[in-house]
Amino acid sequence: MSSAYEELREAAELSAAPRRSPSRPLVRVDLSTSSIAAEADRLWEALEPLAAEHEAELMRVGTLGLSWLEPVVEVERPDLSAAAAGGGAVVYGPVRPEQAAEFLSAALGDNPAEDAAQWLIGARTPTAGVPALADHPFWGPQERRLMRVMGVIDPESIDEAIAEGAYEALDRAVTMDPMAICDLVLAAGVGGRGGGGFPAGQKWKFLLGAPGPTKYLVCNADEGDPGAFVNRVLMESDPHLVIEGMAIAGKATGSDYGFIYIRDEYPLSIARMELALAQARERGVLGENIFGSGFDFDLEITRGAGSYVCGEETGLIASVEGIRGMPKIRPPFPAQKGVFSEPSNVNNTETYANVPLIIQHGDAWYRQFGTESDPGTKMFSISGSLERPGILEVPFGMGMDDLLLGCGGGPPDGHTPKGIQPGGPLGGLLPASDLGLRLERPPFTERGVLLGSGGLILFDERASAVDLTKYFSEFCEDESCGRCTTCHGGSQRLVEVLERIMHGDGREEDLERIGVIDKTLQNANCLHGQFTPYAVRGLVNYFRDELDTHIADKRDPARVAPGLTRYLITDQSDPRLEQAAELCPTSCISRAPLEPGDADESDGDAGEDAAEALGDWQIHAPSCIHCDVCREVAPESIRVEDRFAATLSVI
Amino acid sequence: MERFAGLLQQLPREQGEMLRALHLAQEELGWISRDAIRLIARHLRVSEAQVYGPATFYAEFRHSPPPKTLVTWCSGPSCRVVGGDRVRRIFEAEFGCRLGENTPDDELGLWLGQCNGTCEKAPMVWVNGRVVGPLSMVDTVKLARGLKAGDDPIEWPERPIKIAPATFLEAEATYGSEHGLDGSVEGTG
Ligand SMILES: Cc1cc2nc3c(=O)[nH]c(=O)nc-3n(C[C@H](O)[C@H](O)[C@H](O)COP(=O)(O)O)c2cc1C
Ligand code: SF4
Ligand code: SF4
Ligand code: FES
Repeated sequence: MSSAYEELREAAELSAAPRRSPSRPLVRVDLSTSSIAAEADRLWEALEPLAAEHEAELMRVGTLGLSWLEPVVEVERPDLSAAAAGGGAVVYGPVRPEQAAEFLSAALGDNPAEDAAQWLIGARTPTAGVPALADHPFWGPQERRLMRVMGVIDPESIDEAIAEGAYEALDRAVTMDPMAICDLVLAAGVGGRGGGGFPAGQKWKFLLGAPGPTKYLVCNADEGDPGAFVNRVLMESDPHLVIEGMAIAGKATGSDYGFIYIRDEYPLSIARMELALAQARERGVLGENIFGSGFDFDLEITRGAGSYVCGEETGLIASVEGIRGMPKIRPPFPAQKGVFSEPSNVNNTETYANVPLIIQHGDAWYRQFGTESDPGTKMFSISGSLERPGILEVPFGMGMDDLLLGCGGGPPDGHTPKGIQPGGPLGGLLPASDLGLRLERPPFTERGVLLGSGGLILFDERASAVDLTKYFSEFCEDESCGRCTTCHGGSQRLVEVLERIMHGDGREEDLERIGVIDKTLQNANCLHGQFTPYAVRGLVNYFRDELDTHIADKRDPARVAPGLTRYLITDQSDPRLEQAAELCPTSCISRAPLEPGDADESDGDAGEDAAEALGDWQIHAPSCIHCDVCREVAPESIRVEDRFAATLSVI
Repeated sequence: MERFAGLLQQLPREQGEMLRALHLAQEELGWISRDAIRLIARHLRVSEAQVYGPATFYAEFRHSPPPKTLVTWCSGPSCRVVGGDRVRRIFEAEFGCRLGENTPDDELGLWLGQCNGTCEKAPMVWVNGRVVGPLSMVDTVKLARGLKAGDDPIEWPERPIKIAPATFLEAEATYGSEHGLDGSVEGTG
């Protein structure tokens, strides 16, 4: 340990210590994007004065990953004796802002395990009378390496991070031989987490060997895959891990400057990374002569502006340069010609974040988990039809069913899994029968899909695979940079064909057409175009029945396609129809006044009771937008029917 | 505009500052006007076409003034599998405009957004940058009608949730800035 680092560490421990006073309870509030979406900021405001009253320390933390229980609060009670129930670090949620006072009194009382039972999730550290978080299905199978201090430290305080060991690996790395660092990272076998899985150590060697004094590092935090939020969580909850990883990569590749490219959809990530950079500079872990070693390194942030192909590394580089982020043909690879035409290296945020751990613990430790092809652990963000959506870190090689059904709890309300969407818009679709796949790249590639960057979406029988495929094709069309006609035009045709199928105009020869489009797309310049057909290939290969039903029978089993379904009123006596009519966005539910002659003549007093002069409720089919509002209001008396089947039965 | 021109002067005259300059214009002016493009081109010493290119390539930059109340609809898959597309149809019907358009009086607008990883709130929309979700379809109709009537969505009584910070500026106001614009940019939040 260099004396400079030792000094830094001591100061940081001193500054972080008072927050962990042995006599005062510590209340940690998860303030990350998704918990703030669940009003954690309001909860914080409500807790502030209350914590003061209770003489408790209130602390902002990142996420533990328990997204479905947000806002999550952890209360640590060093003031209670170890034997007392609830004396450790206990995690609670969801705590609604209006429950702040009630919650805090219970959690800070003499018997939190019982009094705060309604919020109790589990104990993160051993606590008498409280089930351990480790026994929770969401938590148990995890191996939290990257996430070790997430939800525990304040991501806006560098002292907290340093007190937990941040920058110790950098201190070691700055005195190491660059080639030795590359070799170590290569021996650990850390593959690129952006989806490609290319060995990071190998890529670094390319840059190390590149000529010239100027070399740039780029951190790819564009995370464009919908459903993936791994990078966001890293930056929001432990920004210094990313910075440290990049600085070590700088030392290993002979680079003294880097860019962190963050998508603009992540304002809190940008803010926290900016703050972390400023603090790192102030402490001298970035800047000149780091830890007295003579190594200089600094970073800046580039804000993206909403373009998916900018996540592709050559597009990313163009975007950092301030021009349109259009991917280019490789070679030249970034290590030959990157940012501002200088040799560069692009890695995903999570790839960089793994590096400090490898320096700290070595390659053998790193390989304790994971598989031959994908050593180590991986963060996954799981969402869609799940009981417990959230973010977690597990060893590569775990079964996908263990992750989605075990940790994630599978679909809620008794729905059945229908399929999985891994790897973002270019990743493809898998049927539920593939839930047993191991989470590493080869089995996914064998099935013609991509494991990708860590987003996994489970869908159930209510979702339409055709509609999902159409969505991904639309996404690819929208996000195509437009350079290649094959890509832009190909995805356009694909959307047209799928749209037609969903409108009941599918044709026998459409499958052949899809095949032609698929072949054409493979001639596109970059992977965006080349991988665009993955989704539709998944549809054809794994959801063929559903596609055939659309084309041949003009029927949508999920009853999602407006062109293939219609809404029908089945019970005229339901009084809720009135409300349904009032809420219908297109006012297409109505009851026509009875024609003269239809009404009972003897009921002479017209106008006395207007309702009696009205006929049956009807839905005007051409203006119905299939929004399901009416069925939410009156589920038993309005039905969705197959449009064509229904017509036939009427005739 | 003057304030924008002043802030622009603080950026280095390098092409690499292009996105930063465009972000600045959008934050200050609400959209990228022709005049903003001219100013940026002059400051960065590039042609207007070189500004116009990125200004139109990136989905985030707007080329018409934003509506007073902007509903951004999440098009993402997690929202999609739980009724996201219905949410879009409801807003289109209630607002009387298509996705990507404003109402003729520019009071309301419905724009396309990309998943920002708050998928566990699906299906959702952003109202002036704040997440509202998970939305039932009935919620959606009520929200749309409330917005039409001029309700503040943040005070919307049946508002399930919201998100902050809504914009980068808000985050910046809370957390300070590293953009060399310290103190000169006032947050909106
Ligand atoms: C269309 C497209 C989008 C991509 N988006 C991302 C992204 O958002 N984040 C990312 O890390 N990699 C993305 N990639 C992969 C990058 O091109 C690149 O391989 C990666 O950043 C390299 O880092 P890694 O080796 O650490 O994974 C994308 C690739 C393509 C073709
Ligand atoms: S394949 Fe598509 S995204 Fe890639 S360069 Fe061609 S047009 Fe652009
Ligand atoms: S589905 Fe929507 S548009 Fe159609 S009748 Fe019901 S409420 Fe009206
Ligand atoms: S898909 Fe809508 S928030 Fe992720």
